[in-house]
Amino acid sequence: MIVTNTETVAGYEITAVRGLVQGNTVRAKHAGRDIAASFKNLVGGELKGYTELLTESRREALQRMLAQAQELGADAVVNVRFTTSAVTAGAAELYAYGTAVNIEPLPQD
Amino acid sequence: MALEFLINLIVFLFPLVVFGLIIGRTREKRHLRRLDQFDAENRDFLVTQIKTFPGAVRSERPPVLVVAEVVIASDYLKSWFAQWRNLFGGEVRSFQTLQTRAKREAVARLTRQARALGFNALCNVRIESADVGGATGDRRVPMAAVIATATAYQAAPVS
Repeated sequence: MIVTNTETVAGYEITAVRGLVQGNTVRAKHAGRDIAASFKNLVGGELKGYTELLTESRREALQRMLAQAQELGADAVVNVRFTTSAVTAGAAELYAYGTAVNIEPLPQD
Repeated sequence: MALEFLINLIVFLFPLVVFGLIIGRTREKRHLRRLDQFDAENRDFLVTQIKTFPGAVRSERPPVLVVAEVVIASDYLKSWFAQWRNLFGGEVRSFQTLQTRAKREAVARLTRQARALGFNALCNVRIESADVGGATGDRRVPMAAVIATATAYQAAPVS
């Protein structure tokens, strides 16, 4: 499955559009991470726990989106976008959406 | 808010500000130096936020989506400066540099990923602020969180 956040795919031609596919996940961070974060807030620096949380959520959302695309018989998802929103204190949603399409390599010239 | 601020000022503030001043400042400087070095080493790597593929060449491998997340915490000095700013208004410089660092780091990570996959260009770079629940939570943790996405592809080498 080819996935891009551009509207086209270099070297390929879109032959059919299958429609919008989406995947989301809502995750809460556990208390340990919050405590580590409050320490980090004294000295600055990367909050690795939160970065990992985002990475996990993104992978999950993307996977769900790709599963939908597979079901539609698509072989690529283009124009993928991510958004996040806060659902409640301590939990955030990560949402991935894109357009499932069929593509074919452009003929060599 | 004002009362909390005063209590902070008297009891905790001094050691914490010194802590932030020394460690936070050193960390920020080191991070910025690392980013400058990274930029200097990657001048041959094309990064654009154009939706099409500038300079794309035919390649066996199709373009690939790359995603990077960065969450950087503020230090106590920065947060303290921001609280002062809150009283008088104006640009919060200490948080501005924090945001810049997060965004530059995100693009650096995208570049690193694309390079590891054997590509030499990124297009359609999109940087978005993320919410990991801290900003709206009751424990307000000042931080810069971003998700950056881009498409890695093969371009004609930049001279």
